[in-house]
Amino acid sequence: MTATIGERNAAGLTTIVTRVRERALSTPGAVALRHKDLGIWREVTWSGYWERAELVAHALLALGVEPGDRIAVHSENRPEWLYADLGAVAVRAVTVGLYPTSPASEVSHVLADSGATVLLAEDQEQVDKALAVAAECPGLRHIVYLEPRGIRGRYTDPRLLPWPDLLALGERHRAEHPDAVDRRMAAAEPGDVMTLIYTSGTTGPPKGVMLTVRNVEFAVETLVTGGGFTSPPPSERDLSLSYLPLCHVAERAFTVWFNAAAGVQVNFAESLDTVQANLREVQPTILFGVPRMWEKVLAQVDIRRDSATPVKRALTRFWLRVADRVGDTLVRTGGRHTAATRLLHAAGWLCCYRALRERLGMRRVRYAASGAAPVAPAVLKFYMGIGIPMHEVYGMSENTAVATANRPGRVRLGTVGEPHPGVELRIDEATGEIMTRHPGTFAGYWGNPRATADVLDADGWLHTGDVGEWVEGTHVRITDRMKDIIITAGGKNVAPSEIENALKASPYVKEAVVVGDQRPYLVALVGIEPDTVGEWARRRGVTYTTYRDLSGKAEVRELVQGVVDEVNSRFAHVEQIKRFAFLPKELDHEDGELTATQKVRRSAVAKLFEDLVEGMYAR
Amino acid sequence: MTDVKSGPAPSAPDIPTGRSRRVRGRPQLYTSYAQDMALLDTPAKRVSTGLLVVLALALSVVLADRSLEVLAGAYVLAIGAIGLNIVTGYAGQVSLGHAFFVAIGAYTAAALSGPPGGDVIGFGVAEIWIWLPAAGLVAAVAGVLVAPLATRLRGLYLAIVTLGLVFLGEHVFKEWKALTGGPGVGREAAVPQLFGYRLDEDGPLGTREQVLYLLMLVLLVVFAVAARNLARSRVGRAFAAIRDRDIAAAVMGVPLTRFKVLAFGISSCYAGCAGALLYSVSGYVEPGSFNLLLSVQFIAMVLIGGVATVSGAIAGALFISLLQPLTRALPSLLPVVSADTTQTPNVFQVETVLYGLLIVLFLVFEPRGLFGLWVRARNYWKSWPFSY
Repeated sequence: MTATIGERNAAGLTTIVTRVRERALSTPGAVALRHKDLGIWREVTWSGYWERAELVAHALLALGVEPGDRIAVHSENRPEWLYADLGAVAVRAVTVGLYPTSPASEVSHVLADSGATVLLAEDQEQVDKALAVAAECPGLRHIVYLEPRGIRGRYTDPRLLPWPDLLALGERHRAEHPDAVDRRMAAAEPGDVMTLIYTSGTTGPPKGVMLTVRNVEFAVETLVTGGGFTSPPPSERDLSLSYLPLCHVAERAFTVWFNAAAGVQVNFAESLDTVQANLREVQPTILFGVPRMWEKVLAQVDIRRDSATPVKRALTRFWLRVADRVGDTLVRTGGRHTAATRLLHAAGWLCCYRALRERLGMRRVRYAASGAAPVAPAVLKFYMGIGIPMHEVYGMSENTAVATANRPGRVRLGTVGEPHPGVELRIDEATGEIMTRHPGTFAGYWGNPRATADVLDADGWLHTGDVGEWVEGTHVRITDRMKDIIITAGGKNVAPSEIENALKASPYVKEAVVVGDQRPYLVALVGIEPDTVGEWARRRGVTYTTYRDLSGKAEVRELVQGVVDEVNSRFAHVEQIKRFAFLPKELDHEDGELTATQKVRRSAVAKLFEDLVEGMYAR
Repeated sequence: MTDVKSGPAPSAPDIPTGRSRRVRGRPQLYTSYAQDMALLDTPAKRVSTGLLVVLALALSVVLADRSLEVLAGAYVLAIGAIGLNIVTGYAGQVSLGHAFFVAIGAYTAAALSGPPGGDVIGFGVAEIWIWLPAAGLVAAVAGVLVAPLATRLRGLYLAIVTLGLVFLGEHVFKEWKALTGGPGVGREAAVPQLFGYRLDEDGPLGTREQVLYLLMLVLLVVFAVAARNLARSRVGRAFAAIRDRDIAAAVMGVPLTRFKVLAFGISSCYAGCAGALLYSVSGYVEPGSFNLLLSVQFIAMVLIGGVATVSGAIAGALFISLLQPLTRALPSLLPVVSADTTQTPNVFQVETVLYGLLIVLFLVFEPRGLFGLWVRARNYWKSWPFSY
C-alpha cells in the first residue's frame, strides 16, 4: 500500500486539493461545509467550496505567491480557513496556522520563523497582533482580513486587503489566466511541503513541523479512507463539528482531511464557548475531543444531575450507576456488548441515555475519539457506559498524527491502542521511548535541522519523546512524556500525568500539576473547576466572591483533600501526594501558563508559583 | 490593483434560497429562516397536529348530535377567543368590549341573510361567503373607530372605556327593534347557505349538526392558522413589542397608533365573524345576550386557556363551553344543587362561581393558563434527565 502513496498516476498527483476538485465535479450540489451565521446554518456546497478555494488560489497567484511561499492563517475555524488552506496548497504554497488565542509574542515568533508572505487575519484583534509585530517580519507583504469591523476606513496600512477584494482579485486573475491554477497544481511534487504545524511548545518556542504532500496523503489513506479510526470508514453521510484550533494536526485531520477525502460534512462551531449548544444542533456522528472537553462535559453532567428535581435526580443517579456497570463490562470486553449489557443498555436507553445523549449533542455519535493529551480512563468509561463508542487515539504532528488507535471492538482502556497497519512502532528497551517509522514521518522542523536531528535518526525512526510499554503485546500504553518523568530524591521514577489525570477525573479539579523532581515527596498544585465547585459551594451555603476566595475556603480545601485522599489510595506510597496547594488563578494561554492546546507549561507554572511549591516543602 | 471592485463578495452557490433541505434527524439544525419560523417544525408536531385533525373529523361521526352542537358552538367561541387574544394577549390592550363587536357581527349577518319585508330589517342574502366577511368587516370598522381611544389610554382606563362600550351597545340593541326585534323577542339568526345549499338542514353530507360541526371546524382551523401566522409576522412582533412596553416599542420605530388600530381592527373582525356564526348554530339572536357576562366569558377563555397563544385560546373556549353541560348535569349527581333558578344553590350560580374561582385559581397558580400547564409538562420531559 505504501508504495503508491504520493506517486504520480495518470491523472496527476492526488492531493487534498484534487480531492475537493473531484468532489466539486461529481457531487456539486452536496453539502460540504456548514457555518452558523445570524442564527442560520449556511450551507456550502462542494462546487461553492471549490469555487472559493480556486478564487483564493488565483488571488494568491495574482499576489505573486511562488511555490514554497508560506501563507499564514490566523483565524477561528470557519470556511475561509479551508478556502485559504486549499488555495495555498493549490499554488504549492505552505499553509501555516496560528492559534487564535496566541498572544502577540507568539504570533511574532511564528510569523518571523516561518517567513510568511501573506497573512489571513480574522478580525481587528488578529490584525492588531500582526501589525504590532510587523517590524520583526519583513517578509510579510499582505494582510488579508475577513471581518472589516474596526478596520475598514480606520487602518491605512498599505499591506491590508479585505477578503472580498482578495476574491475579486482572484476573479480577475481567473478571467485572464483561466488555467493558471490547474497548471500550478499539475506541477505538484510528493515532496512539496504542504503545511507547517507549529508544536504547542510546552518546553521551548514553538517549532514548525514540515508536512509534505506525501505525509498527508499517507495519513489520509491510513486514517480516513483506510478506516484507521472509524469502522465502517467515514462517508458523505457523516457529520462532524469543527471547534478545536485548525492549526493543530488533530483538528486538521478531522476537519480538512476527513472532509476532502471522505466527504464528511463539516460544521463549524460558532466559538469554543458555544460548543455544547452547537453540538446539540448538529448532533455529529464523528466527534473528536481533547481530554479537557470530555472532562468538562462530564462535570456538567454531574452538576446538572445533582441540581435536578428529586425524582429526576434519583432516576438519573440510578441509570448512571447502571451505565458505570455497563462501562465496566465494556472495558473488559474491549467495547463489545454482551447479552446482559445490551439488555441493561436498552432499558437505560429508553429511560435516560437517549435523552442524556441528545442533551449532550452526542445522540448520533458513532465514533468518538480522545487524543492530543493523556486522559483519565474513568472519564472515557463514563462515555462508553452511556453508549458512546469512545476510543483513545495517539499521534503527533511529527508523524502526521499517524501512530496508534483503539479500534472499534478492540478497545483497551488506559492504552492508546494498536499501531495502524503500515506503521512500524517500537519501544526502546533502554529508555522505554516510543518510536515510529512510516511514510508519514515529517520532513523536519522548519529551519531547524538541529532539532530535527534530535528526534529523527538516520534509519528514519521518529523519537516521540513519550515513554510507553506494550500491553498484551498488541496495545501501547503511554506512561508519560519522557522529560516530565519525575525522579524523586529517593530515586524512584514517577509518571506525573497519571496522577494528574486521576485528580482531574474529579469534576471539582480542573488543573493538577504534580511536582517532586529531586524532592523527598510529591506535592501538587491544584486548580479547582469554578463551575462545579461554585455550584457545590452554593448548595452548601458557602458564600464566596472570586476564584481566589473560593479556593481559600476551608470547606473547599476539605473537598479537594477528599479527592486527593481517594486518588492516593489507588497509588503506591511513593506516588502519593503528600501536600497540595491551590493555584491562586485560573491558568491561561495569554499569561503563558498554558499552551494554545490548553496543556500546562510545567516549567512556567513551577517557576511562577515557586513560593507555593517551596512552602509545601518547607512546612 | 486600481480597478479592484469593493463590495460584496462574488456570489457562490452557498447563499440559502427559498427552498432548503432539512438535515435528517437534526431538528434544531436550521439551514434557512423559513425552517426556523415553520409552524410545524418537527415530525412530532406534524404527526400530533395531523392526529388532532383526524380526531376532530372522526368526532363528527362518533358523537351524538346534541354533543356536536355544543362542540360546534365551542369552536365558534374559540374563534372569538382567538380574536380577543390578538388584542389583549398579543398586543396587550385590555378589552372588555368584546361582546359589543360580537353583537355587531351577529346583527350584520342576520340582517343580510334575513328575509326582506319582514318585521325586522332583512336583505335576503343567505350566502355564507357574503355575510361572513361582511360581518367581520363591519365589526372591524367599528373596532377601528373605537381604537383611537386605545391609543390614548392604557391598562385600567382602557378596560373601563371598553366596558362602557358594552353598556352602550346593549342599550342600542335593546331599543333598535327594527334590527334586533327587541328584548325578549329577538330575531332569526343568519342562515348558513353555500351556493344555494342549506348547511343548517339535514342533507346528503349528514345531519344538520354534523354539517354545522364540520363547517365550524374548518372555519376554526382557517382562523386559527391565520392568527398564528399573524403572530409570527412583523405585525405580531410589533404587537408583542407594544405589549411589553409601548414606549420602548415606539423608540424602536414601531408606529403605536397604526398597530393599536390594527390590533383592534383584526380582533373585532374575529369577534364579528364569531358573532355571525355563533347564532347560526342556535338559529336565534336575542339582544339581551350581548352583555358584560359574554365579555367576561371571553376573558375567562383567554385567561384559562393561555394568554398570547392560539392553542391556549382554543383550549380555553373548549374548556368553558364544555363546563356548561357538565354543570347542568350536576343536580343528578349532587342533590344539593338544584336545576331550578328560583332555588339556592342552583346550577347557574354554581357556574358563575366556578368561572370566578377558575380565573382566580389560574391567575394565582398558572398565569399562563392551560397552555402553561402543557408547557410545564412538555418541558419536564424535554429537559429529561435534568431539570434545565
